[in-house]
Amino acid sequence: MSVEPIRAPAAALLTHRHLRRLVGATLALAGIAIWAALPQVLSRGTVDLLVFTALYAIAGLGVAFLLGQCGIVSLAQSVFYGIGAYATAYCCTTWGWPWYAALVIGMVISGATALVIGWPVLRLSGYFLALATLALATIGHVLFLEWDWLTGGTLGVGGIPQISLFGLVLNTPQKFYYFIWPLAALIYWLLYNLLHSRSGYAMRAMRDAPAAALVLGIDVHKLKVRIFVLSALLGSLAGSLFANYVSFVSVDSFGVDRAVSFLLLAVVGGAQSVIGPLFGAAFVTLVPNLLSRVGDVHPLLFAGVLVVAVIFLPQGMGGLVTTLWRRLWPPAPPAPGSGT
Amino acid sequence: MTRADAPLTTTPSSALLEVRAVSKSFGGLHVLRAVDLTIARGSITGLIGPNGAGKSTLFNIVSGFLAPDRGDVIYHGRPIGRISVVDRSRAGLVRTFQTPQVFGHLTVRENLVAGCHKLGRSGMLADMLGLPLARRELAQMQRRAALTAARFSLEPVADVLAGKLPVGQQRLLELARAAIADPELLCLDEPSSGLNGDEVDQLARMLTQLNEEGMTVFLVSHDMELMGCAATVNVLCFGETIASGPFAAVKADPRVREAYLGA
Repeated sequence: MSVEPIRAPAAALLTHRHLRRLVGATLALAGIAIWAALPQVLSRGTVDLLVFTALYAIAGLGVAFLLGQCGIVSLAQSVFYGIGAYATAYCCTTWGWPWYAALVIGMVISGATALVIGWPVLRLSGYFLALATLALATIGHVLFLEWDWLTGGTLGVGGIPQISLFGLVLNTPQKFYYFIWPLAALIYWLLYNLLHSRSGYAMRAMRDAPAAALVLGIDVHKLKVRIFVLSALLGSLAGSLFANYVSFVSVDSFGVDRAVSFLLLAVVGGAQSVIGPLFGAAFVTLVPNLLSRVGDVHPLLFAGVLVVAVIFLPQGMGGLVTTLWRRLWPPAPPAPGSGT
Repeated sequence: MTRADAPLTTTPSSALLEVRAVSKSFGGLHVLRAVDLTIARGSITGLIGPNGAGKSTLFNIVSGFLAPDRGDVIYHGRPIGRISVVDRSRAGLVRTFQTPQVFGHLTVRENLVAGCHKLGRSGMLADMLGLPLARRELAQMQRRAALTAARFSLEPVADVLAGKLPVGQQRLLELARAAIADPELLCLDEPSSGLNGDEVDQLARMLTQLNEEGMTVFLVSHDMELMGCAATVNVLCFGETIASGPFAAVKADPRVREAYLGA
């Protein structure tokens, strides 16, 4: 007799959860269908912008992870983006290496650079750390310019072969689109796992109260360096793929303005949500392009849109989407007596 | 019978931690002068003193946030003066803070899971790939967090962001988070600060219970009621130990009354 009153709410919870999952799955399937159809209906130029959105989202995710989960403002991502791009350019054009080998070399160099630089620099915090990473971005840009034997200086490096997968050359934006977006999704999945793991809790603990994290046995400095290296690997990966995609790299692509745009996409997209940088990448890629149709005032308009976005969306676009989703479909309360 | 008059809960057998002739200066200001202090294994040891006595400095030296100028801290018979806070924590020496340091953007439950960090071994790669080891460890940490939340009466607020809790519950959460990984020595800095009478009683019961289970507690507090839990109380005044012993004896010491109690 005592079972009846419990079974009714349990059944209601089950329905709510199932419904929430059903809606989520339906939306996801609809999203995948739209994603698959987009290159067939959009112009080549727009698909090209969507490819850049994915590239920036991968690089920006590293910056967002540092900012949102570890509280580290990094302006150094353009350096790792550049290292990846030049490693691919040099290895593929000079030595004729396959794209994936060049990509790995770029990531190894970027990871090692991040480790060597990050170890001393990440002992700083706040504005000092942000300024130190800005200095790295500036130094990196100067080196890319000066080491013309490697980077081609202002002339850049051309003729970088495009990615070939099982004999299929990704030589159009449409083909590259179907390659880069699943890769971005895979990276998002990996980082989502990381965020909801033992390491993820440690990162967020470190962000909120570093001294308390230390006391709990979390090696804050080592963790910061690891995340910095991870962020550099993502920057390098995006840089390598960028080089393969456009077949030409020049120093203009790896300046401080690129570093700022990576940070910008993290802030506008919402650094604390994993999905946020994706919206941020779309923002910094698509909005300037749309506004450019207005004429020469488009940088000014972009700045205005940016200010409005930052003021009205303090949690970023990802935060807005998460809030809306939770309002529409609030998670069911934990079942009575459930452990976690 | 008040807690102050209660019998000692444990009998000290051997020293778990010893502070030996520790001195510390900041510029020309001598904060600690050759301070000695012993924390017996399985005891609750208290440290009191008026403002500016050097309690926080000594506490920070014990927990590894400050290095002594002279002298050493001996833990398990080995000097730990050069050992980092993280390594001390892994060796079982955990502290709380005078101002509660909860992870404000995490829920109470997540704070407790984070407190289990050193019990796990999974690395970042395993965590990213969601390997069975990582999943298993996280599930164990979550189970432990649920049990601890229930034990410390934090279950009703388990899914509330820790930053939104009142100070009393933040202190309780900090204590629960510090105790979750079964530390050998739990160091508490002014744990009753900002608590009302009932909350102080709850805290005292919790400390006594943890101590009865074998946890050694080092307590720095202004709260004389709470200090009644301590088997041994050390009194610090102007960087020097002026008294040490059972609370009742220390309380009756004229030097202590003059320096600390103002009577």
